Amino acid sequence: MIISRFVAVLLALGILSGCSSMGVEPWERDVLAKEEMQLTTDAIEAATDDHIYFSKEASSGGRGFGGGGCGCN
Amino acid sequence: MRQLGLLSAVLLLSWQASVADNATFNITDHEGKVVVLDFWASWCVPCRRSFPWLNEMHAKYGDDGLVIIGVNLDQEQSEAEAFLQEFPAQFQIHYDESKALATQYEVVAMPSSYVLGPDGEVLKRHYGFKVKKQEEYEAAIVAALEKLK
Amino acid sequence: MKNTDKISITAALTAATCTLLGTTALQPVQAQEEPGWDFNTSLLYYAESDDRVQDLSLKTLSRRTFVDDRILSLGLTVDALTGATPNGALPQSFPQTFTKPSGKNTFTTPPGEFPIDDSFRDTRVAISADWEQPLGRLYAMNVGVSASAEYDYLHLGVNAKLSRDFNNRNTTLSGGFAFASDQLDPVGGVPDPLTQMRNVRDDDDGNGGRASNDSKEILDLVLGITQVMSRNFLMQFNYSYSDSSGYLNDPYKILTSVDPITGEAVPVPQIPGTEGPSHLNYYENRPDTRSKHSLYTQGKYYMNGKVLDASYRYMTDDWEIDSHTIDMRLRWPIGDDKYLEPHLRFYTQTAAEFYQISLVDDGQPLPEYASADYRLADFDAITAGLKFGWKTGGGNDMSVRLELYSQSGNVSPSQLIGSQADQDVYPDMDAIIFQYSYMFGK
Repeated sequence: MIISRFVAVLLALGILSGCSSMGVEPWERDVLAKEEMQLTTDAIEAATDDHIYFSKEASSGGRGFGGGGCGCN
Repeated sequence: MRQLGLLSAVLLLSWQASVADNATFNITDHEGKVVVLDFWASWCVPCRRSFPWLNEMHAKYGDDGLVIIGVNLDQEQSEAEAFLQEFPAQFQIHYDESKALATQYEVVAMPSSYVLGPDGEVLKRHYGFKVKKQEEYEAAIVAALEKLK
Repeated sequence: MKNTDKISITAALTAATCTLLGTTALQPVQAQEEPGWDFNTSLLYYAESDDRVQDLSLKTLSRRTFVDDRILSLGLTVDALTGATPNGALPQSFPQTFTKPSGKNTFTTPPGEFPIDDSFRDTRVAISADWEQPLGRLYAMNVGVSASAEYDYLHLGVNAKLSRDFNNRNTTLSGGFAFASDQLDPVGGVPDPLTQMRNVRDDDDGNGGRASNDSKEILDLVLGITQVMSRNFLMQFNYSYSDSSGYLNDPYKILTSVDPITGEAVPVPQIPGTEGPSHLNYYENRPDTRSKHSLYTQGKYYMNGKVLDASYRYMTDDWEIDSHTIDMRLRWPIGDDKYLEPHLRFYTQTAAEFYQISLVDDGQPLPEYASADYRLADFDAITAGLKFGWKTGGGNDMSVRLELYSQSGNVSPSQLIGSQADQDVYPDMDAIIFQYSYMFGK
């Protein structure tokens, strides 16, 4: 349990530092700016599914944050 | 550190001026004027917000020596053109197809705006466009125009 | 190319028992909405097989964008629920009678059917309010509150998130928490765990000595990284931790106590003049704490107009439930203003340590924890669906989706006693999900 948690945090940190070499220039975000490329495209549909599966299964959530998109401002 | 950055920008700038970019942007064409280089793209919403303000600046200070150049960074020129149909620009538009200009000016956000003085040096830059900061942006232009006097 | 970046990022549309963080998405730091209102509304119809739960739900999310990417989101959901769910008792080859939760009368389940708890859920209302804004150039924050109420359940919650961009906005690190305090007011009061189902009571002393309510608290923490992999590819990795404590039982769920040889329900002699359960049943009991860890990863991949959205979640908790979820959607554009989106989801979970299909009436003490709630069992589930979306003449988005959800249990044969081996011991379920959605506004 503790080990898997530790690995998860390490993975996250590793990704963060390794990530400094990955990515695109600010002007190459045209595709990422599209509505259909956002992590959550339909908020109500996502919330509906989360609620249904939470009510019928033992797991819940997991998803959730920002990032991606046009990278503007 | 900043001086070094500005110096290298000026050096790069002068070098760039002699290497023709296929859409021929030449900073020396605007010597003696204050140039606002505004990097934008059709998919960038804050860019859309900044256009009315840029038009306003063009109308207000165009006769005082201000040149606004909207440098477009779309992948397809047709997308920029479609955008301009909907949001017309009174200022010049330059299509930086090779993205050489964007790289040269080290654009790190969309939109990015650079106020260049009469000899082409970068006086001020702002990343992003916030409605609340419009006065600040305008003040930078006015300060630069002072140098022309 | 239409330039509306109308991203429907949500405030917490939280259900009474939903993990708050699981249902919200923080607007990217570089949010891109024009000032004004926009609305996301939907009508949902959900129905399970065998006259189980049916739900008709109206959901709305209203968003007011202020200057410079500050956004207020207000959510309202109203559900009309009918039907019932299996109460944990096993089907038998003879009829079974149970006392209703109200304690006022009984109901009888025909032979061969899964007893379903006579629930009178009618209406549920959930509201949420959420505020998000950038902080400086590279940070963004989000705070929200949520509440929901139904006849036997009340939920109150708060949540907050913070995110920061790195690497020219190619990397976003986010952290958030949600805290919920829920109260249950079960019909008939809170039963004492692992006690027998009571007879019908005709005296008017309320819950007959039971507590009328109980509560639980849930704390959720999430850490996430979103990474732009390439011009067409975005990924997200989240780690979540959830801690629940308090009354975690389902007050309406029971376990049948069976004969150790035949595996059949044990009859309970009925005193003449009284009504009550025909066979031996006990109310369930679960631990009063639960802690869960989840690892979630999602990728969005753009291929020439089509978008593939695939995610995987692993969950493990201290009730010994492990689960895997794989969810895939492919958005297939049709012309400029329509799309088709097939959807496939696979889910599997292992049983809680204390899950058992029945108790044994063998004179031994009852276990400390036991539950026959089908949601804690070892089962697989699959969802297959299709969504069709289009832009209206006015430039607004409409869509309909139809999905089928199917659950099937894997009860280990070692659990089966006597005649249980010849019977259906897990209430498999099929459900239909139909949702119509309309987004309009700026």
